[in-house]
Formats: sequence, C-alpha cells, structure tokens
Amino acid sequence: MKKPQLPDKRGYFGEFGGKFVPETLICALEELECAYREAKKDKRFKKKLKGYLSEYAGRPTPLYFARNLSQFLGMNIYLKREDLLHTGAHKINNTLGQILLAKFMGKRRIIAETGAGQHGVAVATVATLFGLKCDIYMGAEDIDRQKMNVFRMQVLGARVIPVESGTKTLKDACSEAIRDWVTNVRGTYYLLGSTVGPHPYPLIVRDFQSVIGREAKRQILKMEGKLPDYLVACVGGGSNSLGLFYPFFKQTEVKFIGVEAGGYGLGDYNAASLSCGGIGVLHGAKSYLLQDNGGQIKNTHSIAAGLDYPGVGPEHAFYKSSGRAQYVVVKDKQALEGFKLLSKLEGIIPALEPAHAIYYLKKLAKKAKGLLVVVCLSGRGDKDLNIIQKYK
Amino acid sequence: MRIEEKFKQLKKEGKKAFIAYIPFGFPKIGYTKDIILALQASGVDMIELGVPFSDPLADGPIIQKAASLALKQGADIEKLFITLEGIKKSLKIPLVIMTYYNPLFKFGIEKFFTKMQAVEVSGIIVVDLPHDESRNYIEKTRKFDLETVFFITPTTSKSRQEKIVKISQGFIYYISVTGITGPKSFTFTPLTSYVKDLKKITELPICVGFGVHTPLQVEKIRSFSDGVIVGSGIVEFIGKHFRQKNFLNKLKTYVNFLNGREYA
Ligand SMILES: Cc1ncc(COP(=O)(O)O)c(C=O)c1O
Repeated sequence: MKKPQLPDKRGYFGEFGGKFVPETLICALEELECAYREAKKDKRFKKKLKGYLSEYAGRPTPLYFARNLSQFLGMNIYLKREDLLHTGAHKINNTLGQILLAKFMGKRRIIAETGAGQHGVAVATVATLFGLKCDIYMGAEDIDRQKMNVFRMQVLGARVIPVESGTKTLKDACSEAIRDWVTNVRGTYYLLGSTVGPHPYPLIVRDFQSVIGREAKRQILKMEGKLPDYLVACVGGGSNSLGLFYPFFKQTEVKFIGVEAGGYGLGDYNAASLSCGGIGVLHGAKSYLLQDNGGQIKNTHSIAAGLDYPGVGPEHAFYKSSGRAQYVVVKDKQALEGFKLLSKLEGIIPALEPAHAIYYLKKLAKKAKGLLVVVCLSGRGDKDLNIIQKYK
Repeated sequence: MRIEEKFKQLKKEGKKAFIAYIPFGFPKIGYTKDIILALQASGVDMIELGVPFSDPLADGPIIQKAASLALKQGADIEKLFITLEGIKKSLKIPLVIMTYYNPLFKFGIEKFFTKMQAVEVSGIIVVDLPHDESRNYIEKTRKFDLETVFFITPTTSKSRQEKIVKISQGFIYYISVTGITGPKSFTFTPLTSYVKDLKKITELPICVGFGVHTPLQVEKIRSFSDGVIVGSGIVEFIGKHFRQKNFLNKLKTYVNFLNGREYA
C-alpha cells in the first residue's frame, strides 16, 4: 500500500476527519496547526521532547517477550510496556508533546477532558511540571467511579470540574471542554487526549504517540530479526493503537487488529463505534459513531472507562474502510478474563483497556500456530482494582 | 417568506429585526406550534427554530437542558416537519432552521432540504459546519433555493470574513462574544466597531446574537446592527412559565418587553 498523505491538507483521512466546529474555534485550530508545523521543524523542540520522554517519562519502554503467555497460547507474544511509563499509561507521550506545544504557543492555561482519569492525571502532571494553570473536565459519573485518579489530579494542583450534563461521562466532559475553549479561546490551550476531535488533533496526537510504534519496530527487528505478523491494541479514541500501528503503515504484511469495547454485548450497551456504529459527526470530526436513527449520540458502556466513548478517531475509520486494519470486539467479561490471564501468567496487572487486547490473543491463537504478535500494553491496572473487586 | 424580503420590508419601514430562537419540541412537541404563532403575534420578525441535539457544543446550560427535554419527548426531524406543515399557512414571517450537522447528515441532506422546501422554510444555519466544510452543502442548498446563514465571530479573520460573506444569504449571524449561548453581560466597545468593519465588506444585513437577554442590550445592539437574536432568555422564560395559565399571553408580554415595546 502506498502511503498517502495522512491526513490531507484539510485534515481528511480519506472521507473521514475534517473540522466540524463552530466558527469561533476555527482561528484557534488554524493557530494550533501553524504552531505544530513550526514546532515539528524546530530541532530544539524535538530535542526537548526527546529529553522529557526519556528522562521524565521513562522511554524507551521495554518490548517484553511474554514467555508464559506465549507458551500458554501457542504463539510468540511481545508486550510493548507502556504501562511502565510515568503516570502508568501511554497518555504521557501525548501530554508531554502537547504541553511543549502549548508553551511554544505562549498559552497560560490548560484545559482537558478525561474519562478514566488517566489522561487527566497525565495532563495535571505536565501542567504542574511546566507551571501552567490546569482545569480538567470529568463527568460526574466518572468522578464517582474513579475517585483515586480525581485525588491524584488534585494533589498535582489541577482543578477537577464535574460535568453534570448529558450522560455525565467522557463524551460530555469532552463537550464541556470544547465549550470552555469556545469561551476562553484566546489564552487557553485545549489538550485533547486521543486521536479524536477536529483537525489537527488526530494528526498531532497520532504523531506524538507514534514513538510507541517506532520503538517497537526497532526492538522487534533486533530481537526477532523480522517484522511481526500482527499488531494488536485496544481502541477507545484510538491513540495507543495508532501510536503502535502508524509506523508500520507501509509494511502491509504486518496486520493491524484494533480491539473495541463490547461492553454488555453487541445487542446491548457497548462502546464499539467501528463495529456497531455508523458514519457521522461528533466533536468536530467525521468518523464512525454510536448514534440512533435521528443522529442523536447513544449512551455507551464499557467496564474500561478509557474505552467508554461513542466515537473513534477518523484515522481508524479510514483504516477500516480501506481494509488496512481489522476491528474486533471484546466484551466486559472477556476483558476481565484477559486481565486475570496476564496477571496470573506474567505477573503484570494490566489496565482494563489493554486487557481487551490481551483477551483477543486467545482468539487470534486459533487462527494459526506460532504467530509473532506485538500487543500494546497501554496502561497498568492499579486504577481498576476496585472495579475488579466488585466483579469477584 | 424569504429572509431577504423581510429585511427589505424592514428597511423600508426603517426598522431593525427582532429574531427569536426556540428549540423544537420544548417544553413539549405540541407547544412549538402555539409558541411560534404567539411570537409572530407579538411582532417578532423572524423565528429561528432549533433542532434538538444530544451534544450541542455551542450551547450553554439553558439550551442544553431544553434540547435534552425535547429529545425525551421524542422531538425528531419527522415531527419537526409535521409541525411545520401544520403552521405553513398561518406563518407570515420567515423561519430559519438551526441545527447541528449530525442530525441533518443522518437524516439525509437532500431529503431534509426537500422537506424544508415543502413546508416553505426559507433558511438554514448549521452550527458546526464552518465555511471550510461547506462546499457540498452550499451546492445542495442552492439547488433547493434555501437561504444559507453563516456565523461570523470576533475571532474570524478578515480573509475568512470575506469568504464567509460570499456564501452567506439572508443575513450574517454575528456572535456577540467568544462563547456559548446563555445570558451574559458584555461590553459594546469592540462589538460596535467589529460590526461597522464588517459592514464595509457586505451589503447583507448583520444581526447580533448570543448572550442577549435584556431590553437595554436589545436596544443598544439594534442601534449599530440590522437586528438582534434572543435565544436563552426566551427559552428560560418558556421553561419557567409554560405551566401557568395564560402562558402564551405572558410570553407575548415578555417578548414585547425585550423588544422595547412595553411603553408603546
Ligand atoms: C490505559 C489506557 N489504554 C487505552 C485507553 C484508550 O484510549 P486510546 O484509544 O486513545 O488509546 C485509555 C484511555 O483512557 C487508557 O487509559
């Protein structure tokens, strides 16, 4: 497959993406796009980011051969250990990149949305590191579910603003952050947490997360002397998966599998936008989303708060329609099984989000013996322990 | 009636427009028809009818709540057009549909426009469809002879203003402040000059909205623009009073008050 320019100048990945936002935000998006283009060319920016990623966040992360799991399933499984990063998930790759961008642009206030609180913690962390004021929007329901992360953000000096509108979860936190940005657009930087939203966010977040795939490629070539057969990652908004996939885009022999949250099941509440949704526009981009016949956004459910979102990044919509990636669904109960499997066999407690990807390996193992697979272990499971206890 | 025609008429009479925004289906689907006719009777020059959406990015709490209530009542696009069909004959002022892109996209753009034409609605505003994404949409609206209203805001650059003015019809919706809908107090100093500057590049009427909720604001805005749009103020009034006796008369009195007619 020839690598097209992804996205194009208008922010489109094929027919997906774009900038479907109120007029007030257009100038802010244009400013961001310009600043990002400049920062990308700036050697000092690159060097600074690299420094923080290695010395502050802990990059490169290991690519770990999971011997016990591999033996158990009859394939060769490597885990890309994003769970070992500072703050416990891949989110910090993006927040470090964007906070430097915000500084570069001279912004003084950071706002962000968060679902599970992982992105919120990663934002609060870098905001305090760089001495910027930080307001985090979080659905009232999620605040209840993820108390520990709320407390972490507060310890880090961020203000956590409860969102009482709509379903009181991630999508509403995202809407509320956008409303704040519409109002305070001149001095505020909106630090979006996944490969969603209007152009240029899907591009920026994917670029900052691509460090995952670049490292993994180097590492697997060194360790195995060849490229993997499959890359597997969970898909919420799509940032850890695109971070892993994108650097392999041209190597079509490497197959991509995105694992979506099946929640209670396909006929019930879930968060599998690509597998169960239709094309539409949410939060500024055209992509797949879970909606009813009237174009109203549906309620979602996933045991993993970080996957509990009715939309998905436009680049994934493009990968789906072009056949570059395949998308599968793993339900709550199966994710719990994946969670236990990795904890017991490898002594690694995964977050519930990547536990979806781990479970899918069981299914993949049935396709052929001895496959070489790289899985993105996007975060560690400490944040989910109280949820796990409930399911015992 | 076409928007263009209305503004010609107002100009002849030396008047400025008063435009009222209400969400369809709020507080109940059956109310919309009566509210529109009451607004018309109280001398409102134009109605903006909002299509309720689950995730209204540009709206503050008042309109968010109204939209979510309307959705609970089942206020969908089919019912919107049934309502509009029912008042087609009695409606003497222009009506503009204001929607977010997704309900329109999902319903089918051509199908939506066909229905608009059938119920004689003249104009449309799509909140989250900026100039950059509008090419296909503009082509289709022209085919159905619909007037396309676009926003210009204090953050819109000069070069964008020029592009937006070219695809705008009926009037320009000038957003008073950077922000979402909902009552606000604002200063008129930069606003007045922004509107004056915009007048230099367009003949189209310029109406100002977002945050307007007092008679004084209405009067001031009309002194330097071609019209004023009031949304949340009216929506809040409806929410508070619809259960009361003589609700429609109270609404008329309130609109007259905003419109500076209480002394007339
Ligand atoms: C550990 C972890 N993995 C995955 C995700 C899902 O996001 P994305 O699809 O953008 O990687 C989240 C989101 O909060 C997360 O915390």
